[in-house]
Amino acid sequence: MPLLTESKHFIRPDGPDKVTGSGRYVADISLTGMLTAKFLYAGVSHARITRLDISAARQVPGVFAVLTQEDVPERRFGSVADRTLFAKDVVRFEGEVIAAVAAVDAEAAQQGLDAVVFEYEPLPAVTDLEAAIADGAQLVHEGWADYEAADVERDGNIASFTSMIRGDVEAGMAEADHVVSSRYVSDASQPAPIEPRGVLAQWEGDRVTIWSSTQVPFQARDGVCETLDLPTNRVRVIVPHMGGGFGGKCGFHYEAHVAALARAARRPVRLVFSRQEEFIAPDRRREGMIIEITTGLRNDGTLTARRARVLLDNGAYSSDASFFPHMAAMQTLGPYKIDNIHVEASSIYTNRQPSGSVRAPTAPQACWALESHTDELAAAIGMDPVAFRQQNCVDTGETGVAGQVYDEIGLQDCIREAVSAIDYSQELDENEAIGVAVGWWPSFPGPSGAFVKIDSDGKGVITTGAQECGTGSVMTLPILAAVELGMEPEDFELVYQDTSAAPYDEGATGSQTILNNGRATVEAAQQIAVQLKSLAAEKLEASPDDIVLADGKAHVAGSPELAVSIADLAGVAAEGEMLLGKGSGTPPEYPSAVGVDCIGDRGLSGWVGPQFSCHAVKIRLDRETGVVRVLDVSAAHDSGVIINPIGASGQVEGGVLMGIGQALTERTVYSEDGAQENPAFLDYKLQTIADAPPIRVHFVEIFTPGVGPHGSKPIAEAPNVATAAAISNAITKLVGRPVAQLPMTAERVWGLMQGRGGG
Amino acid sequence: MTEPVMLTVNGIDYRVNVDMGRNLLSVLRNELGLTGTKEGCDDSECGACMVLLDGQPVNSCSYLALQAQGRSVTTVEGLTPADGLHPLQRSLLEQGGVQCGFCTPGIIMSARALLDRNPSPSEEEIRIGLSGNLCRCTGYAKILAAVAQTASDG
Repeated sequence: MPLLTESKHFIRPDGPDKVTGSGRYVADISLTGMLTAKFLYAGVSHARITRLDISAARQVPGVFAVLTQEDVPERRFGSVADRTLFAKDVVRFEGEVIAAVAAVDAEAAQQGLDAVVFEYEPLPAVTDLEAAIADGAQLVHEGWADYEAADVERDGNIASFTSMIRGDVEAGMAEADHVVSSRYVSDASQPAPIEPRGVLAQWEGDRVTIWSSTQVPFQARDGVCETLDLPTNRVRVIVPHMGGGFGGKCGFHYEAHVAALARAARRPVRLVFSRQEEFIAPDRRREGMIIEITTGLRNDGTLTARRARVLLDNGAYSSDASFFPHMAAMQTLGPYKIDNIHVEASSIYTNRQPSGSVRAPTAPQACWALESHTDELAAAIGMDPVAFRQQNCVDTGETGVAGQVYDEIGLQDCIREAVSAIDYSQELDENEAIGVAVGWWPSFPGPSGAFVKIDSDGKGVITTGAQECGTGSVMTLPILAAVELGMEPEDFELVYQDTSAAPYDEGATGSQTILNNGRATVEAAQQIAVQLKSLAAEKLEASPDDIVLADGKAHVAGSPELAVSIADLAGVAAEGEMLLGKGSGTPPEYPSAVGVDCIGDRGLSGWVGPQFSCHAVKIRLDRETGVVRVLDVSAAHDSGVIINPIGASGQVEGGVLMGIGQALTERTVYSEDGAQENPAFLDYKLQTIADAPPIRVHFVEIFTPGVGPHGSKPIAEAPNVATAAAISNAITKLVGRPVAQLPMTAERVWGLMQGRGGG
Repeated sequence: MTEPVMLTVNGIDYRVNVDMGRNLLSVLRNELGLTGTKEGCDDSECGACMVLLDGQPVNSCSYLALQAQGRSVTTVEGLTPADGLHPLQRSLLEQGGVQCGFCTPGIIMSARALLDRNPSPSEEEIRIGLSGNLCRCTGYAKILAAVAQTASDG
């Protein structure tokens, strides 16, 4: 059961701002004297800068500031410290910032950019993953060994690497009756939030306030401090409403550029990206991948061994991508029982837009490859793919690929529910098919903090470091506080997205808000509950242990008539020891993996609170054109106990539709030299309401101890794992072979039907 | 070159001096302070800038302010009653059809135009009526439910 069944019609607290248009996003905020910022981008994928002269640009009327790397401290940043704010000596992708201008309006800013003299000598662009790791390959970062990166092995163009080895893969293959090998290639795709990002900075004395559409305000603040040499207490990052992120607004991006411009111009400065910039410049695209998997299995369906090699397109810089090889390796193994594994995954530098966290990074592509491969395995022994998964997927108490034994998990229930909801055994037209795939995704424990107070009239305020990116996770915190205090969610106001007001939080990343900030909010509310019980005990002449907080009152257990309202108690408290709670709590520890050798740059030993899912899709194929239409989807998820049902089902519906886009249409097309050819919604097609199928959402609600509050697990990324895989399996049923290229565009499906391409 | 332009927006007459090439969206947001209408692509692809022009939905990013002269413009601010919410706004909140909210004003304007000309749309008609509005968050299911609820509530 959900934590609050009555929360079915829970109205999110930020909802009225959003439906009336009164809520402000960064682009909606103007300050007196504000200037407009614009960037000069490299426009070339790989080149050595031979001349960069901004002296004429600084003379353009209306231009107040022009900056390049010469004007900011010499600092490298990112997870392996491989980039600078502005290009220095070499440009490594087309969207790299060369110079920034602040001017009275967009026209003057553009004239300033036009007056920058930027000359370069082109270098060969590295765009092919296999060629990039061949001997003698052109290096993307020639001086990489000298960068001050922590705990990363440096090897040619390999930006980061993981291997996972367990058991004896040779012996396992030798035991197999069948050995099936597959090769899958995924194109890059984009997070594409509908709000293009904005940053506004204003200095007052030696302090700067930055309004940014970031998913991670504390990381943004820390990035500004690191690159501009400032202490944290002089940089305040405020996020007004944020128009979606999907990972694209994770990380530290342009806050320092704009803060530096505002300092130089002595005026507030605002940057708002165009849609084209939103496609090309941020270091957050979903990486392209090559995935090779070989699996041994017996005639009875037992998996005996798996070997896999994964190449990820890191792009030019490693924003937060250094843990991706580990994630891709785990996705290539999947939630299956296999004792003998050997997976190697490498993220490879290229002269393309940097890759970074996009909703469930690496998962949709790698799961698509693994689950397409899994249907090939089932086909090899003539077994139904659902039965094959029921036999091989992990269940409660069983051991997964990394040697981790799983507590209460609901993967088998997810398979049963998804298959039943879509009516798997229904009669299908010859152009229709149902495909099924399973997915998994970890939870990410981390530090987080919140303050809760109850004022004299019994109304509360939650001040949280958590960031709302639209999912409703921050909007769910009042439910958690209300449950602890016997109050209503509507009794609480939220103060959030302000680094100077609230304690640290990792932000809207890794689906971690309710897991970590929920824990913090619950702890803060519990402190107030102790205070309220003590005040009530005195008033009602009972022991604090016998006081129950419910329905806005404190009453003696078993005697609801012996009660005092929380508002009255708050009035008493306001005269003396006030009702203030603070929480952070202890994050869950990562479980250790057993018997697995995990070598590499960044990885997790085991997965905390893995979330499981099974998606089943019914499609129709137009055999004349190769166009695939998704007719029906059922998505069953084990994300533990669901706290906010309307919010959680919204995550699944949105995640599935994003998955359909990734499966069929979403693809960044590159020219041979690494430039994007379709940086616009006209040519990069998102799904519309006319494309959207019905999506049946089912939650397998299992109380999961040791993860989130009330037995919950996260939910936002998990729905974006298995959909493309399920669609692939449905297409294979109609055309005989996997398309083996993602997205599975009409051209590719049609080509496969004509005997071209495919796996 | 700037021209004086008379605009009627949400029932209020404004006289603004604008460059002849300025789009309606930019004038609404920057000259009139009506920031409820959003810019998502400046290319008529996303629908975040949807407003009503004499009751018809248009992408205000691709419409010159000059062309709106003498016509009645309605934005999300104009649709919102003085007290409470418009039924579409209330349904969207009750059904959970709002996440990041950036596409929401545009969706509300398209839905309003649809319901004005067809008070009892079928599901297919709602899909067609809103097909010019991209939403990346919701998967559209709850938006569809909200528009259907508004229609059935009359």
